[in-house]
Amino acid sequence: MNNLDHILIALADPTRRAILQRLSAGEARVTELAHPFAISLNSVSKHIRMLERAHLVHRRRAGREHLLSLNAAPLDHAAAWMESQRLLWNSRLNALDAMLKTEDKKKKGRSR
Amino acid sequence: MTIQVTRSFEASPERVFDAWLDPQKAGQWLFATPSGQMVRVEIDARVGGSFVFTDRRDGEDVDHVGEYLEIDRARRLVFHFRVPKFSAQNTRVSIDIVPEGSGCHLTLTHDDVLPEYASGSQAGWTGILNKLAEFLKEPLY
Repeated sequence: MNNLDHILIALADPTRRAILQRLSAGEARVTELAHPFAISLNSVSKHIRMLERAHLVHRRRAGREHLLSLNAAPLDHAAAWMESQRLLWNSRLNALDAMLKTEDKKKKGRSR
Repeated sequence: MTIQVTRSFEASPERVFDAWLDPQKAGQWLFATPSGQMVRVEIDARVGGSFVFTDRRDGEDVDHVGEYLEIDRARRLVFHFRVPKFSAQNTRVSIDIVPEGSGCHLTLTHDDVLPEYASGSQAGWTGILNKLAEFLKEPLY
């Protein structure tokens, strides 16, 4: 899997999106992140690992503490990819329209 | 995550629909690139049937492969496709066509179904694209 797949998978889960939203407000400890969720610390850690794998979350050690922060750059990557997909379909549909119009012109040419 | 694109055509719903499944027509525009050369188009236009489009780009063959999930002529077409060169991930495309005057209006919906996600919850992709930008500007907490 490439990093785009990791990013899209990371973003596909509501808990992980909520973690990102929390981190967009600033750095946090793992225990702070787990607090609003009705799930175990272990489960939150798994979500955080998936976010780290996608490079959406950065981990920093301060003494015994692990502080997590948001790295928003991959989100731009995902948004750009989605925009490129939209543009791609737009250009394909333009090509379809052009092909159909060419067929019409040929038909008219023949019937004359 | 869903991408939606809409387009009006002067051509009838039947002509627009058939342009997706007729190999001779589809090869001219679908998965074709301006600088590439479409060297193979194989379409088995039945539900469960598969397709392969091979576009030669700078001497390199790029395959688009997939399967048809729904075929309702002139109204709706749904297929899976993937580009093995770039990703093993299958994505789902639905095309809905409604008559509009003497032509038609087409809505294309491109959903990405990720392997671990396909069997899971419904919550998810829808709207993420639109929300990405807002999300970074307006934290909830």
